[in-house]
Amino acid sequence: MGALQSGVSRAHERVAVWTRHGLLALPIAFVAVFLVAPLLFSIAIGFWQRVGFRVQPAFRLDAYAEFFGSVRLLVLERGLIVAAEATAIGLLLAYPVAYFLVFRVTRSAARVVLALFTLPFLVNYIIRTFSWSWLLSRTGPVNKALATTGLTHAPVDWLLYSDFAVLLGLVTSTMPFMIFPIYLALMGLDRRLLEASWTLGASPARSFLRVTLPLSLSGVFAALVFGFTGAFGDSAVPIILGGPGYQLMGNAITSTLDVLNYPLSAAMSSVVVAVMLLLLLCWYLAFDLQSFLGKMLRWRF
Amino acid sequence: MAVCLQPAGYRDTLSAEGQQTLEERAMAGSSIGRRKIVQAALYGGTGLALSGALSGAWAAEQVSFADIGVGDPGGDWSRYTKATGGDTVNLVSIGNAPSAILNVLIAGGGTKTYDLINIVGGMQKPLVENGLIEPIDTARLPNWAKDSYIAQYLKPGTPGFDFIGYDGKIYGVPTVLQGDSFAYLPEATGPLDSYGALFDAKWKGYVALEDNYTTAGQKTALYLKASKQASIGDPANLTPAEMKTVVDFLIAKKKEGQFRTIWSSFEQAVNLIVSKEVKVIDCWEPMVFVAKSKGVDAVYAAPKEGYLLWAMAAYLVKNPGRSPARTKAAYALLDFMLGGWYGATITDLRGYMTNPEAPAYARQHPGEFPAAKAERIAAIDAGVKKKFQQGGTWQQRWPTAVDAYEAEWARFKAA
Amino acid sequence: MTRNPLAQALLWFVLALILAVLYLPLLPPFLASVGVGGPEGGDGFTWRWYASLGDNPLLAGAIASSLAAALITAVAAPFLGLLAAMAVRELKAPRVILLLVLLPLFIPGVSLGLAIALFLRELDLAPALWSIALVHILWALPFATLIILTAMASFDPVYLEAAYLSGAGRFRAFREIELPLIRPGILGAASFSMILSFNETIRTSLVQGPLNTVQTYIWSTYLQVGLSPALYALMSLLVLLTVLLLALSLAAGRRS
Repeated sequence: MGALQSGVSRAHERVAVWTRHGLLALPIAFVAVFLVAPLLFSIAIGFWQRVGFRVQPAFRLDAYAEFFGSVRLLVLERGLIVAAEATAIGLLLAYPVAYFLVFRVTRSAARVVLALFTLPFLVNYIIRTFSWSWLLSRTGPVNKALATTGLTHAPVDWLLYSDFAVLLGLVTSTMPFMIFPIYLALMGLDRRLLEASWTLGASPARSFLRVTLPLSLSGVFAALVFGFTGAFGDSAVPIILGGPGYQLMGNAITSTLDVLNYPLSAAMSSVVVAVMLLLLLCWYLAFDLQSFLGKMLRWRF
Repeated sequence: MAVCLQPAGYRDTLSAEGQQTLEERAMAGSSIGRRKIVQAALYGGTGLALSGALSGAWAAEQVSFADIGVGDPGGDWSRYTKATGGDTVNLVSIGNAPSAILNVLIAGGGTKTYDLINIVGGMQKPLVENGLIEPIDTARLPNWAKDSYIAQYLKPGTPGFDFIGYDGKIYGVPTVLQGDSFAYLPEATGPLDSYGALFDAKWKGYVALEDNYTTAGQKTALYLKASKQASIGDPANLTPAEMKTVVDFLIAKKKEGQFRTIWSSFEQAVNLIVSKEVKVIDCWEPMVFVAKSKGVDAVYAAPKEGYLLWAMAAYLVKNPGRSPARTKAAYALLDFMLGGWYGATITDLRGYMTNPEAPAYARQHPGEFPAAKAERIAAIDAGVKKKFQQGGTWQQRWPTAVDAYEAEWARFKAA
Repeated sequence: MTRNPLAQALLWFVLALILAVLYLPLLPPFLASVGVGGPEGGDGFTWRWYASLGDNPLLAGAIASSLAAALITAVAAPFLGLLAAMAVRELKAPRVILLLVLLPLFIPGVSLGLAIALFLRELDLAPALWSIALVHILWALPFATLIILTAMASFDPVYLEAAYLSGAGRFRAFREIELPLIRPGILGAASFSMILSFNETIRTSLVQGPLNTVQTYIWSTYLQVGLSPALYALMSLLVLLTVLLLALSLAAGRRS
């Protein structure tokens, strides 16, 4: 009787484990079916041949050659640079804000402030970005304010349709997303570790660099991902706030689709995905699992 | 909600309709649009009830109509529904770029989802060769013969025909006709009459172009040819070498700081004029109408190189699985769009010329179109007719070397 | 640690400044919605744009679709994100799983929309609300997963171990010990997903089928015929509604 019971309970356990693994695999399956399959298909199209308006299976590097040999490559470079700049500025703003909200402000006040940071995103991003173009225009309120304060004698041209405007647009649309993960990571910090550091005589700056920052790295990782992919993939800010012909990869790919050049658009997308994966791999190599798994590494069951 | 999450059996139009009714009833809690939701539900419900009563002998159809924005008469399709005895219109707003239009039809189940698509004409080549649209039987459209503009401006054999036909067959019903040039602020520039104003160093930094190689590119080509700065054969259909010359010229101007920006949307262009951010702008006439209504003195120029003429057309999406009843309803909608009320409404809302019935209808129905509106509609109609009389070049939306156009334009933008 | 009141006030001031810059672009649409200014100037104070919101059945349908898609995303994405985060920590390949879950972020929007649209066509599935929700969930999943992962990174599994030793089942231990501690992460993931769904335009435009969403409607009219102040009114109403909801929840929280 006892052996049968323990056999049954072991079977139960196995079923439980398999159900659990099945449940955990659900999102992976979801992504695999609806994303990986289409993605592989579109990567393949990058090698196919154009015949009139159709594409024929083949293996040709024409599309990649066209992309790398043309000015479109400049768009990719610019996208990477401006996304890096926007992410850096965003991080420099988001981290102190998150730090302030965690360590210097009450919980309820912090929650109100966090909600305030998310409210502007209820307004459609096209309307928000277009609003900036009106605010920064030659006859817009910002220029008018500058004129009344006497700081300028003529409308400032570089406020709009410039790299400044693009950075402003990208930072304001990605920085708030970067605050929350850093906030979460800092909230989960064990204060006793900090106190121990102070007790041992470390200065506040040293405590921050040696204790706080490394332990908040999981939040910083998430913030960097949100910021960089958000800035790189933005398709509205470049055409609304950028100078003549300013575009990022999203705009360039849409342009190739305007003439039904599927292989070229697929090749360009594949290059973008490859670059992003490369950046992720760099992070994986530079920082060990601790950096974004934290205490999860202690999982033993 | 469970009904909507499953792939719809779209051969069964009733289930699609019932789906929408269910969705709408579920969302009827929102106060916004409750009246219209109930109305739409009633229409759908009427359709369902009728079809139930007549055992499917006659059921109301819902025509799915993809539109880039111009063809929306403010959501009011009641006259069409009344005329057809219950058929309704589901308008889906889509983007106006060729990529958006083509991909929504090629991918996304578009040919099975949409019945009509109303876009800027001239794209028949990719649409037909990808099997996305089918020829229109004009015999089924009573208003076709009444539309003298078709006979006048869109005759087979003339470049205008390229906006509604392909390979000798008629594919599109022209819904809008227009001529483009550029706009300027006379108080800043004085009267201007040539596309050269866009490239005049006097207005450096105060000029904007449209991000469209078939309009801005063609206007530049017209100017370069007329001013003999480049040897160009047909400005409407440039060879890759000619396009390169045009773009080299544009890049030189861009590097000199001639252009404030290259705009890509109606809203942007209107804003550029109204806020006086630029003094000369390559744009569409309705933007000038909006600017004038905001009190900004903007003038749409009459360039000596001629206007760029174009037309919008509604096409019948190729769907062998569409029921004959649905096709009948679609043809009824096409005919409705060639009618007086629709033409007058669109001219009033969007500022384009539509069909000859429009000004007459507006004048004869003061209840629907007060005197001021009727006058405005007549004025717009007359204005565009004058442009056609003055003559110009028909825009070429899909040039032979369109790939070269796109590559060269990308070079211009990246410079 | 002593708190210098002057330093505290200064820091609050800087925070307010950052928030002011973020809120600045909200002002012109609001002013335009009541007719007193903004991008196209106004004719004078009026409520007519708010009143006109009920007149356009297309907009009503679009609002319904957008709300439905947002609600579905706000529930499904955090749920899948939670499972994905647990998968990262329990199935022995965290880097690979994380890479898979982050993929939707790396693919350019227009390519993702097109690829999925073509894929659905191959499977002969008609686009409808479900395809819109699918695209939104795919887009929100990486955000939700990363946020919940960050919340979990501070949660020490030793508490769960203690619970198991005391005889609690896995689900009970999770529900009573872990969930309360990562709840801010899950709620944050839900609000992120909702916001992302509210702003999702390009991917949706290729799989929208016979439906309009507020975002695709705004995009379409913005491009070809210009934005109507009614849309600004809608946005302002949305913000106002959310502020009210937040204020109510704050008040309720304080009372309990």
